[in-house]
This record gives sequence, C-alpha cells and structure tokens, in this order.
Amino acid sequence: MADKEKRRSAAIPSGMSAGKAIKPDSDVEFLSQAGVGDLLRGALLKMVEARSDDPIGFLADHFCNLASVTDSSPAGCGEDEQMNGAGACAQEQQHLNRALWHLRLAHHSQRSAFSNNVRVAYDLLNVSGCQRQAAEVPDGPDGSCSDDPIGAGEAGGGGVRGGLYTQTLQCLCSEGGVPASTSAPLLRRLHCQDHEVVPYDVFRHGVLTCAVFSDYIRQSQKLYAEVCCPHEGPATRALCLAVLGTLKEALETSAGCEPDCCINANNKAYACVESNVKAIRYLEASAKISPNQLAQAMDGARSRGPGGNMDAKEFENAAADLFITRVKVVF
Amino acid sequence: MSRLSAAVPVEEYLAESHVLFYLGDAVNQLLEHKEEYTQFGLIRYFAEYFSSVKNSNHVLFREFNYIRATPHNKASFIRVFWRCFRQIGKSGELLSVQDYRSLLQLLCPDFSMEVVQSAARIVLMDDATDCLMSFSDFIYAFQLQFYYQEFLESVLVIYQDLLAGKSPNTVFVPTSALVEQLPSVVVEENDKEEPQRDGVEACLLADCVDALCDRFKHSHPSRACVREILDQTDKVSYYSFLMSLAKHEAINQSIGALPSRAELFFDPEMDQELDKLIAQISVSPGSNSSGSAVGGLKEVQRRASPRRNIHHRRKMEVESDGSTEETDSSEN
Repeated sequence: MADKEKRRSAAIPSGMSAGKAIKPDSDVEFLSQAGVGDLLRGALLKMVEARSDDPIGFLADHFCNLASVTDSSPAGCGEDEQMNGAGACAQEQQHLNRALWHLRLAHHSQRSAFSNNVRVAYDLLNVSGCQRQAAEVPDGPDGSCSDDPIGAGEAGGGGVRGGLYTQTLQCLCSEGGVPASTSAPLLRRLHCQDHEVVPYDVFRHGVLTCAVFSDYIRQSQKLYAEVCCPHEGPATRALCLAVLGTLKEALETSAGCEPDCCINANNKAYACVESNVKAIRYLEASAKISPNQLAQAMDGARSRGPGGNMDAKEFENAAADLFITRVKVVF
Repeated sequence: MSRLSAAVPVEEYLAESHVLFYLGDAVNQLLEHKEEYTQFGLIRYFAEYFSSVKNSNHVLFREFNYIRATPHNKASFIRVFWRCFRQIGKSGELLSVQDYRSLLQLLCPDFSMEVVQSAARIVLMDDATDCLMSFSDFIYAFQLQFYYQEFLESVLVIYQDLLAGKSPNTVFVPTSALVEQLPSVVVEENDKEEPQRDGVEACLLADCVDALCDRFKHSHPSRACVREILDQTDKVSYYSFLMSLAKHEAINQSIGALPSRAELFFDPEMDQELDKLIAQISVSPGSNSSGSAVGGLKEVQRRASPRRNIHHRRKMEVESDGSTEETDSSEN
C-alpha cells in the first residue's frame, strides 16, 4: 500500500496524469537518450529483412536475444577476467549459439540480408576468440545493420579462430539436415587449422557454401525419392547414374561461377543472376537438367546401364561429391 | 520463415502483422513508466513486452481500446476470459448480463457494456435480456460478438434494410434480379404476418453478407460457414443467424481462442494453473492492504508487462471502496 502511495505521488509531479501536452519534449529527449529509436529501428529492419511468418514472435526472440547479450556482456568483456577454463568455454559456446542464431535469420537467397547476418556472426565470434578486441566490435543492438557489411572488420587485425569457424560450419550443416558423414568431405575441404585466424572473406565463403550445400543435399534427397519407387526398395543403379550424370553435366555448364546454384524441386537451376554471362550459363544448365533431358537420360539408361541398385546414402554421397569437387578453396 | 513472403511489400507486411501498433503501444507504456522501466532495462522491457504479446497474456488488465485493437488482442482476451472463469461454467451456475459484465471488468476495468449486452441478445434471441445464461452459451456468443463486432454491425444494417424492404444501403448492389425480388418478398411477408418481425430471405441475406465480406478483408467469419448456415433455412432472423454463427465449430476454430464446446470444461492440466490465477484475482477486490495480493500478482506481472500490476491496483481501488453505482458512473 505504501508502495502504491509512493508511486502515485511520484506520478503527479511528473505530469503523468495531469496532461500529456506538457511532456512531449521530455519524451523525445528521453527516447533519444535511451536510444529507443535505434533499438526499434534495428529490430524492425531485422524483421523486415527476415520476413518471418510470425513477426511478433520474431521480435520477442530478437529482444530476448539482445537482452541476453547485454546481460552477459559485463561479465564476458571484463578486462580483469582472464579466459580460464569452463567460464571461457561456456562463453564461447554462447557466442557460437548467438552467431548461429543470426545466420539462421535469413535464407541465403536473400543475399543482402544474409550477408549482413554473416557479418554480425563474424563479429560475435571474433569477440569470443579475441577478447581484447571486444571494444572495437560494435556491440550495440544495431551493430547488425552496419551500412558496410563487407570489408570493415579486417582493420582490427583479429579474426575468428579456425576452430570456431569449423565448429560453425559443422553446426550449419547439421542444422540444415545434412548427415555428418555427408558433410564431412566438404568440411575437410573448407577446413582451417584451429590456430589459424580466419579472415572475413573466407568465413563468408565457408558459411555460404555450407548453407547452399545443405539446400543442395536436401534437393538431391528429393531427387532420389523421385527416382526410386518407395515400395520397390532402392532405385536401380542405372537410373541413379543417369540422373547423377545429368546433374554433373548441369553443374559443369554452370561452372565458372560460384558453386551456389542449387537445384530446386523442378530440377531447374535456381540462381541469382549477377551478369548476363552467368545468366546464360544458368539457363543452359537448367536446360541440361530439365525434366525432358532427365527423362531421356533415364530412358536410355534403363535399357543399357549397369545392373544392381543404389541406396539413398550412396546417391547422396555421389551427389555431394559432385558439389564438393566444385567448391573453390579460398585462402 | 518463408522465402516467398519477400514478395509482399514491406508496408503490407507490417500492416498485416500489426507490428507498428504494438511498437507504438510499447513505447507509450514505456513513456508512462519511464523510471521503472529504465531500471528494469530497456531491452529487457521490450523483450518482456513482445513475449507477453506472443504468449497472449498481454491483454490482462489493459484498457478496452487496447483489447479490441487487433484480432490477436481480441482472441487473447477471449481466451483469458475463458481461462479465468471456466470454473463458473463448470459449476453450472447461470449468470445475468450484469454478472458477466462484472467478470469481464475484473479483467478489463472499462469493458464496454454494449458488447456484453449484444452478446446476451444473441444468447437470448433478443428476448428478455434480464434472463440468466449458462457460461458456455454466453462465452461463444461473446466470442462472436467481440471478435467480429464491426462485421456484425454491418450485417445488422443490411438485415434491417432487407426487413424494411429497402435494398441494402451500401456500395455493393445485388444483381438486378435480386433488386426486383426484394420489395415483393418483403411486401408479401408483411401482408402475411405483420406482428412477426423476424425473418428475411436467407438466400438474399447470404448474397448481401457475401458481398460484405469483400469489404472486411480478413475480419469476417468464413464465407463457407455463412453459406452453410443460411442454406439450411428459407427465412432467418438476425439473432438466429448470429446464434448459428456463434455455435459453428469451424468459426470457433478459425478464431482459435476457445476449445470446442465439448471440451470447454475439460482440461485437468489447466485446472491447476487456473486455481493459481483465480487465487490471485479473487484476493484482489476488497482487500486493499493485502500484501499477498501484490505478491501473488508479481508472478502474473513477470510474464506480462509490469504495467499491468499498476493498472490492476488502480482498478482495485475503484472496485473495492465503491458500489456498483460508482463503477457505473466511472464509465460514463
């Protein structure tokens, strides 16, 4: 009760019930001082970028995530606190989780949004790896919407450590539904030594490759499901080889660009067109893997291909192999 | 997260989700309670605010205008009402309009009497609105009335126009055939039985309501349900139409606030949770100085916005030392 009285008496002098006309100036001042505008702008931009189906849920998660960042940062960035054992490890895990959360926000086909998020994730992991540089990294709520997503971070001279980078890629693949055995060869190819420092470009390339790879594997799993008849056990080897052959041809046609053309359910090459040359290549590639071509290849294979069956795993590995051999190694 | 939705323009995306409304409200709440929330932590405050909106407990003890501002708020309020007062229905007690209104005002101090009365009219078919009603009858009628209020008001206008033999006073003109039919139908009816005022041609009403739906974008009951109901009879009165809508399970499901009628009182898990909630609420009126009421409310408050606590207290004062008359006067 006393509490209530106090609250009420506090309310009256500040003009809360007296009339709203008196206070707009102080309100605006308060909001700008507290950085509410920036906070909300950052949240809205993130939300519009991600186009979540559940915007309210998205905002709730977003602010919770930010709150957990700010709650933990005093402990995490304390200068006196040395990285010792379990504490540092737990904190690193926390940063990794947060980085993954950012990477999940937008699909890689929404390229600018995705690039922004990669930048944020990179900065987070960078802090985690090298605490002394915490001060250089934007830790504000809207560090995420930096205008210059690429190329700003190298100045610090730090970078994400190789171990964390590899861990991030592993998590991305497994979250993307790719079995560890399938993603292992890709990860070996993208691998960095634990002690190495990973520059932003390499990080972005790795993350993007894993994201595209996850999509690609999901599509090739669907492709296999199309080829095999579920009731008759595994698909015949000949048919699978024909499909893989067509896939390979298509990938070769589109080669020369980044390996980030993924195949959608209609077997057409899906790509973001960056130049006419690329566009033409993609069109050729998609023609190569059009249902028509595929049907021809499969028909031919039926009569004269090798016998035996191929199971889903083998098909997946073969498809993954086609992809992985085309992954550029950036250093 | 759907990639396809990127095709929707930003403005449309924002408008459909009512995000800007919630952001505005969050900022207003913040400004009204600066001192508290600044200590609380601004980011934490926004996190709590949106979590409570997401979990549908943001409407507790908020003002009527807030509660009816978005479909999500309406559905949340209907659900909260059900959760809080289910026990009354379980005991099978019959309550009057005034009783239901008091219950609603426990959750929303300035809840409009008009909505409650309209809901009662649906249950009682516009007869004697001082009769007692069962909880389950009331809550589905209330849901329909509250959730689709604007739509139902327009339906009533159409209905009255049809009844009076006018062609519906709206932009949508029924096909010429209908216009021709219209006067004759009503004249015929008037000739036959003057005193019985219920009833317009169900199919006529169906056509008009269908056209009305075009203007109401999403906030109308599904056309299929409307058709289904109106196809069943030749003549229909406004309130029997509404009663059928209120009882229609598909409409109930699409609102998504209440379980089906059969399961209205069956939820052992929630019984426990409810006991807690009711304990918290029932302590409030009359026991001004009760420290435990405030303590108990803390829990609700932690999940909802902290503001609600204050709101509730303010309301308690009104209720506790005032008679019913005083509550009435506060509304006017």
